[in-house]
Amino acid sequence: MNVEFVINDFEGPLDLLLHLIKESKMDIMNIEIESITNQYVEYLNKQESMNLEVASEYLVLASELLEIKSRMLLPREKMEEEEEEVDPRDELVNRLLEYQAYKEITKVLKENEEKRSEIFTKTPENVDQYMDEVHGIVSDVTLDDLVDAFKKYLERQKENKPLKTKVTVKEISIVSRRHDIKKILSKKKKVSFFELFPIVTKEYVVATFLAVLEMAKNREIKIVQEDTFSEIIVEAV
Amino acid sequence: MKKAVLEGLLFVVGEDGLSFEQIEDVLDIDLEEAKQLILELKEDYQKEDRGLRVDFLGNRFKLTTKYEHREYYQKLIENPLTNTLSQAALEVLAIIAYNEPITRVEIDKIRGVGSVQIVRKLVAKGFIKEAGRSEMAGRPILYKTTSEFLDYFGLAKIDDLPKMEVIQEEEDLEKDLYNSKYEE
Repeated sequence: MNVEFVINDFEGPLDLLLHLIKESKMDIMNIEIESITNQYVEYLNKQESMNLEVASEYLVLASELLEIKSRMLLPREKMEEEEEEVDPRDELVNRLLEYQAYKEITKVLKENEEKRSEIFTKTPENVDQYMDEVHGIVSDVTLDDLVDAFKKYLERQKENKPLKTKVTVKEISIVSRRHDIKKILSKKKKVSFFELFPIVTKEYVVATFLAVLEMAKNREIKIVQEDTFSEIIVEAV
Repeated sequence: MKKAVLEGLLFVVGEDGLSFEQIEDVLDIDLEEAKQLILELKEDYQKEDRGLRVDFLGNRFKLTTKYEHREYYQKLIENPLTNTLSQAALEVLAIIAYNEPITRVEIDKIRGVGSVQIVRKLVAKGFIKEAGRSEMAGRPILYKTTSEFLDYFGLAKIDDLPKMEVIQEEEDLEKDLYNSKYEE
């Protein structure tokens, strides 16, 4: 059960540190700074030896850890006028706790996101026909506003495209096209060759064409063309 | 009759939804009556033989399909759920939602990692928007969430977010000052 995480699996240095703390079953309020620093630095070294780029943010935290570690090693100065000693880890612990809280919230958001995606609304009806003729342009809109609005629109259009789209190619088999063609011919007896290609995508055209050839070979259909350049007719046999 | 009109109105506006103000204005009724109508319509739709429901999402009333019927919609639509938000985007959204308005630098500080690209993407998606400028040096842009954000997560209003639990250790001001040199 030793799952290896690479650096890209983490959202940032705090995420990585939280993971290491959890792995070594430490109490977040009482981090063993020496051990965790070693683990953290070791982890970064390992990533680099695997030729994975380590972002500078990770190095910043590494240096912070080292600094805390060194401050822990130094004999604590008794600060005058101050009743309590300051734990050098406090600041980091607070940041970790805060980050962890947000991380927890993202789980709820994720759940909500999934739930909401199962509920549908429709786009608003087009009510243009009820609109009055062009209203005068509201006067406090400047050209700059329009240019801004247009830029935003373009950017939004760009972002509308999902960054990662899963392209599931719908398998179009020759068998299914044969089936379709048979169906068409059983209704119509005679159709134009081009009517068999209602969708023009490469896969679709190829599958349909092969289906037609196969059916012609099996004498399931007859293909007729009366003159050169006249329409090609496909007939049921 | 008014209830039927309201139903039609909800259909026409679709995902844009209706606010109480709009319902009051269009039907020429007061808030009490508007509430009453919405409630009645909501109850009508709760019956099992109805396929829609009146939902309050992103501060607006919307006609939506029922969650219980999701499996049928899944069958209808071949590729659902393709485009969900990344973990990083969720983190940034959560941070903004609980601290709005907030600057990008403050977001980066909490996450411990830069968020420029993500913030830009979220603005373009319409989940967050600029909300003036902070008084801090450089007058950085402040961001806050939009009603699209609420709707996307099925929330009626910003208070519907789950309560945040941070067990903060006691802050020590002096130490903060000491550490502040590490910040940009």
